[in-house]
Amino acid sequence: MKEVMLDCFGEACPIPLVKAQNKMKEMDIGDILIVSIDHSCAMKNLPDWARGEGHNVEVEETGDGEWEVIIEKVK
Amino acid sequence: MSSFKETMKKITSNPVYVKWLKDAWPYLTGAILLSLFQIVTLATTYNPWGVTGPYTNWGAWIFELFGGSVDKWYYFSSEGMQRTLENGFLADGGSVRNVGLILGALLAVLFASQFKIKKIKSKKQVVAAVLGGLLMGYGARIAYGCNIGALYSGIASLSLSGWVFGIFLFLGAIVGSKLLVKYFM
Repeated sequence: MKEVMLDCFGEACPIPLVKAQNKMKEMDIGDILIVSIDHSCAMKNLPDWARGEGHNVEVEETGDGEWEVIIEKVK
Repeated sequence: MSSFKETMKKITSNPVYVKWLKDAWPYLTGAILLSLFQIVTLATTYNPWGVTGPYTNWGAWIFELFGGSVDKWYYFSSEGMQRTLENGFLADGGSVRNVGLILGALLAVLFASQFKIKKIKSKKQVVAAVLGGLLMGYGARIAYGCNIGALYSGIASLSLSGWVFGIFLFLGAIVGSKLLVKYFM
C-alpha cells in the first residue's frame, strides 16, 4: 500500500478531477491518493466522482480555502 | 488571546454557522433563490437579469476615461445605450448589481474563512485566462448575452433563443473540455 500526493493548488476545475482520474488509473488497489486543492468546486466534484466509482473518500480542510481530498482505491 | 481562540472555536463549531455560512448551500436552495431574485429584478427594473452587458458599459467608460469615444460604435449607437452611458455608473442598475455580485461572493468566502490568493502556476494559465476571457467577452457581445442574459433569462422569458443558446453552449463546452484535456493536462 502506498500513498500518492497530488498537488493541485492553483488549478481550476476540471483539472484537479481529470488529474486525479489519470493518477488513480496508475495506482493499485489499497493505495491512497491525497489531492491538495484550493478550488472549492473540486471539493465537490472530486469526492462525488470517487464515491460514484465506489472508492472511500474523505475531505479535510487543511487551511483557509485549502483542502485535501483523500481517496482510497478499493477496486 | 486564548479566550479569543475559544470564542472563535465556539463560533466555527456552532451548527448554525456551519449550516448557513460554512458549508455550501444545496443546489436546490441556490436555484430557488436565483429564480426569486431574477423575478424581483425583472419586476423592478423591467429588464431581465444580465451580467456581461454592464461589463461592456464598464469597458466603454474606461475607454472614455482615456479619451476614447464609442458614440459611433454600432453596439452603443442606440439612444437608450447613449443615455445609459451618459447617466453614469451609479445610475446603471446592472453595474451596481455586478458590484454587489463581487462583494457578495467576497463576503461569503470570508464568512466561510476560505479566502485565499491563489498562486499562478504557469504561463499557460495566464495565456488560458486571458484567451478565455477575451473569447467569452467577445462571444457574449456577439450573442447579445452570456449564460445569464441569453441562456438563463432567455429561457425564463420563454424565449426559444435561450434554448438554442443552451444547445450550442453545451456543444462548445464539449469542444472546450477536449481542448483543455489535450493542452492543459
